Amino acid sequence: MRDWVRPLFGMWAIAVFLFLFAPIVAIVVFSFNSGRSLEIWDGAGLSAYVSFLSNGVLHSAIRTSIYAAIGSAIIATLFGSLAGIVLARRPGKWQIFFVALLALVLVTPEIVSAIALLIWDVRLGESWSFFTNGLIRLWIGHSLFSTAVVTLIIRARMSGIDESLEEAAADLYAPPFRRFRQVTLPLMFPAVLAGLLLSFSLSLDDTIISTFVSVAGSTPWPVYVFSAVRTVLRPEIAAVSTVMFLLTLFAVGVVALVLRQSGSNARNITKTLTGEYGGNNRA
Amino acid sequence: MLWILFYSFGYKPDLYHSIATDRLSLGQYKLAASNTFFQTFMGTLRISLTGTALCFLIGFPFAYWLSVRVPPSRRPIFLALILIPFWTNFLVRTIGWRILLAPSGIFAGVLHFLGLHSTALEVLDTRGAVQLGVVYNYLPLMILPLYVALDRLDPGLREASKDLGAGRVRTLFKVTIPLVSPGIIAGLLLVFIPLSGDFITATVLGGAKGNMAGRMIYDQFLIAQNWALGSAMAVVLILLIAAVVLFFGSIAIIGRHIIRYRRRVELAIAL
Repeated sequence: MRDWVRPLFGMWAIAVFLFLFAPIVAIVVFSFNSGRSLEIWDGAGLSAYVSFLSNGVLHSAIRTSIYAAIGSAIIATLFGSLAGIVLARRPGKWQIFFVALLALVLVTPEIVSAIALLIWDVRLGESWSFFTNGLIRLWIGHSLFSTAVVTLIIRARMSGIDESLEEAAADLYAPPFRRFRQVTLPLMFPAVLAGLLLSFSLSLDDTIISTFVSVAGSTPWPVYVFSAVRTVLRPEIAAVSTVMFLLTLFAVGVVALVLRQSGSNARNITKTLTGEYGGNNRA
Repeated sequence: MLWILFYSFGYKPDLYHSIATDRLSLGQYKLAASNTFFQTFMGTLRISLTGTALCFLIGFPFAYWLSVRVPPSRRPIFLALILIPFWTNFLVRTIGWRILLAPSGIFAGVLHFLGLHSTALEVLDTRGAVQLGVVYNYLPLMILPLYVALDRLDPGLREASKDLGAGRVRTLFKVTIPLVSPGIIAGLLLVFIPLSGDFITATVLGGAKGNMAGRMIYDQFLIAQNWALGSAMAVVLILLIAAVVLFFGSIAIIGRHIIRYRRRVELAIAL
């Protein structure tokens, strides 16, 4: 009985992997397409990369993406870390409310958050020109989701660390700030770094919120690609996708490495990387 | 988010303004529920329900395989292989399907080679392509929570069930699935909710025929610049999602009570 089920599962797994990787392989292969249209193969060549390197609009799109990713990662890490510490260390009666709020942010369909952000940006932009700045809009929009993710990562990490370490530091007359810098921060550092890199790549890849809030002149690269979908797809789209794919892969790889160094097991790494924390980590 | 609700009662004053709220009415809802839009909402619901079901049917055996059949030492490698597509840009992955499904593309070539299909492939820009695209795009979101839940399950429980004489199928339905049900619920929600609001897959693969609610909202906000109608559509979409989740949630709860009740009766009879 066992004999025929086993290969069946194996075959299913191979089919799933083929399914998952087929389009990615297609993009990477077709980035070497020397034709004019992405979808029609016209001989191999590096022309797509050449035209990507000489496309100024695409460069500024990538620059915008990177600035947006750096800014929103810093904002998200700052707020998320502080919120995570509070939720882990001083869980008052409002804790359930805050965790529910975080879960709500994570499960709201992204398009709904995106139009809500657009409405706010436009309304506030009428009084403060601050909100008409494309980069600031992207920072706010992207850090919204990532802050929730970072908060949950930090909370999980801090609830795993015994508070007696900080109490011991206090007993040894370390003032609060020094206690934070020399005891708390080193203990939570792997989670902070993971959160920082995660929010960086979340922002780098975000398409939905960016499409709605970005203004002309500071369009991030997914928005550029998305507008190309609506007009014409050239091989250089595949070339830029391949480059950004490698960049994201690198960032995620560093996160996995950092988490592994800090002693997390595969399950926790998965949970962190999928942002799947929805308040059920007490189970 | 309340602004969306407020705007949904407004209207589009003229060509150059996207919103006005000095007169509030339900007019936009009437428009959003009108025939063409209504059909798109129903189409979206069909795509997202079918998509969620397909993700589960594909993802569950896979997650089971990964957590039960693969030795623990090799699991991180396969997990990493799942995470790579998950972390690849959503848009890029979807454009990949355009290459694969192109009328004279790779997929058409394979089918032609196998003798299954001879003319040019006409999958692109249809509802079928959108269905395929969403299953593809949200599959990792199903596999990961299922894997986490199955991985947590003590293998001893399955063995105990088999030792007590339960067959393979019985063990699956009476032991494994009830125990991993939190993971199943998480997976279904993680797939269903974002899938219902997705507009990228429909824009890239759907063409004119494969429209989805998310894309209608996108069009109203960024192309037609009718924010009131777009807001009304977003509210309808949220309500639809909530209704579906509540509907299936209550079915699940009622079903569990019935099963428990029947078990109790069986036990009473046996005693």
